[in-house]
Amino acid sequence: MSENHESGSLVKTLRPFHVWALGVGIVLVGEYMGWNFTVAKGGVLGSLLAMLVAGTMYVMISLCASELGSSTKLAGGPYDWARLFIGPGAAASVGLAVYMEYIALEAADAIVVAFIAQSIFPELQVFPVTLLVIALLTFINYRGVVAALTLNFVLTMIAFIAIVVFFFATAFGAVDIHPEYLFQGALPNGMIGLFAALQFGPWFYLGIEGAAMCAEECKHPARAVPLGQQAGMITLLIGAAMTLYLCAVLIPADMLGVSVYPLFEAAQNSGMFIFIALLGLGTFLTCVASANGCVCDSSRSWFALSRDNYVSSWFSAVHPRYNTPYRAVIFTVPVAIGFAFSGFLDQVITFSIISGLLCYVLIPFSLIRFRNLFPETTSKVRPFVGPLQPYIAYFAIAIAITIFSTLFWGYKYNLIFAFVFYGIAYFYFSHRHKNSNIENNWTEMGWPAPKGSENERIGKEVMGVGDE
Amino acid sequence: MEMNDPALEKKYHSKLNGDTVLVLGMLALLVSVEGFVLYKILSETWEIAGNFFYLYVIFVGLLIAIETIGCLSVRNSIKKHMFEFRYYD
Repeated sequence: MSENHESGSLVKTLRPFHVWALGVGIVLVGEYMGWNFTVAKGGVLGSLLAMLVAGTMYVMISLCASELGSSTKLAGGPYDWARLFIGPGAAASVGLAVYMEYIALEAADAIVVAFIAQSIFPELQVFPVTLLVIALLTFINYRGVVAALTLNFVLTMIAFIAIVVFFFATAFGAVDIHPEYLFQGALPNGMIGLFAALQFGPWFYLGIEGAAMCAEECKHPARAVPLGQQAGMITLLIGAAMTLYLCAVLIPADMLGVSVYPLFEAAQNSGMFIFIALLGLGTFLTCVASANGCVCDSSRSWFALSRDNYVSSWFSAVHPRYNTPYRAVIFTVPVAIGFAFSGFLDQVITFSIISGLLCYVLIPFSLIRFRNLFPETTSKVRPFVGPLQPYIAYFAIAIAITIFSTLFWGYKYNLIFAFVFYGIAYFYFSHRHKNSNIENNWTEMGWPAPKGSENERIGKEVMGVGDE
Repeated sequence: MEMNDPALEKKYHSKLNGDTVLVLGMLALLVSVEGFVLYKILSETWEIAGNFFYLYVIFVGLLIAIETIGCLSVRNSIKKHMFEFRYYD
């Protein structure tokens, strides 16, 4: 790690519910909108399979992220794992991928919030409201991570409870449903639709790996990261199944596939004011929570890249009073505005998904390398030992590559552009930081030297055990 | 590793039970909801889905099994390290 930065350390105050709020807060918006494109591709059955296949992949990714996050306890998340266990080229690619993934999502969320506000108050203009949302959330994140994530907890909890209440009311017969919609829209494009629907399956869970990115700011990362992340994963799995069922029995499949706000539309079709109000509020709040979490995660990724001189070290300063990476937080504003008003938002969101999928290949690969380099299970190196490893890491990579391949249908040019962008980043930063693996100071982290290194024997002697 | 203070030790075990109940409750809800949704959708579309229903069974089985094992690992990890890292002080 570079010594060339003026930062102090980030404040360590976060608890498991903050980790839950960060992960679920970013992702829950994908259950309010976006996932329904699976229905357009593969009908209700294609959507159900995409939800289960993507869910299986994310369960395995979140277990990998829990182990890596609680072990390294660093703010960069996937970037830091790749830097430590793979190499500088992969680290820079993942760091940029995480940054792009979250900042593009932030821009999209802010625009949706502005559109919702305009639909309620027609005299409002989208442009200034989008700016206001971005500025307000940046200010909250500038002031402190605890305030930002406590806000996320409240917003996310309300949005999740709205889904749960609507589901149970429907399941217990309080809402008139149309089971015939399930058969009518079961598989409109045949068996190929089952495969094609996979490309939008990640919408149900996209970004949950970001929960581990607050590990450096957790009071007890070895408890907070695995507990918060797994609780978040279960929340999303429950929310995804409820959402799919509600929308599939209340909206005809051909309309569901193109709906902008499917859960809100399902509530409108129920004809009950309480659910229309609840799900309308949920749609609004989940967009705000997602944008808020995205500011937090994208700034941490930029901060980590800056701290290691991948980008200017000027961004790695920590606020003396609020203990936040304030320059990295403020820097999200111009980039998010640039994305928001590029005029190609659908392309930007697809780029965000492709960036996420790149992370889903490299996170399990980081874990495989971590297990190979540090096979010992001590409290210091690996306080949380994920189960079934490395088999589930290999399986997660296989599913991620399969989903990647389905993007070739319809998003060929986005895929090629992403490969070129991250390929250039890989080779540029590999060349520029070719000696950085040697600079990894394992002893400073309290770890032994990695297996097979020249200093392994010396490292074992200096390694301490015990404290976190 | 354990503590010498019985009151603090009792507090730790009580908090651990709280974490356990939270995770078990969420897992139970997950299994119920997934089972309900899968049954409702597959039963209504059985004429079509009957040919490849095993895909759903395989993936829902994998999903729930891996998540359950993962949650048990989290619980065991917290139990193992709770005194060492003073999780509940």
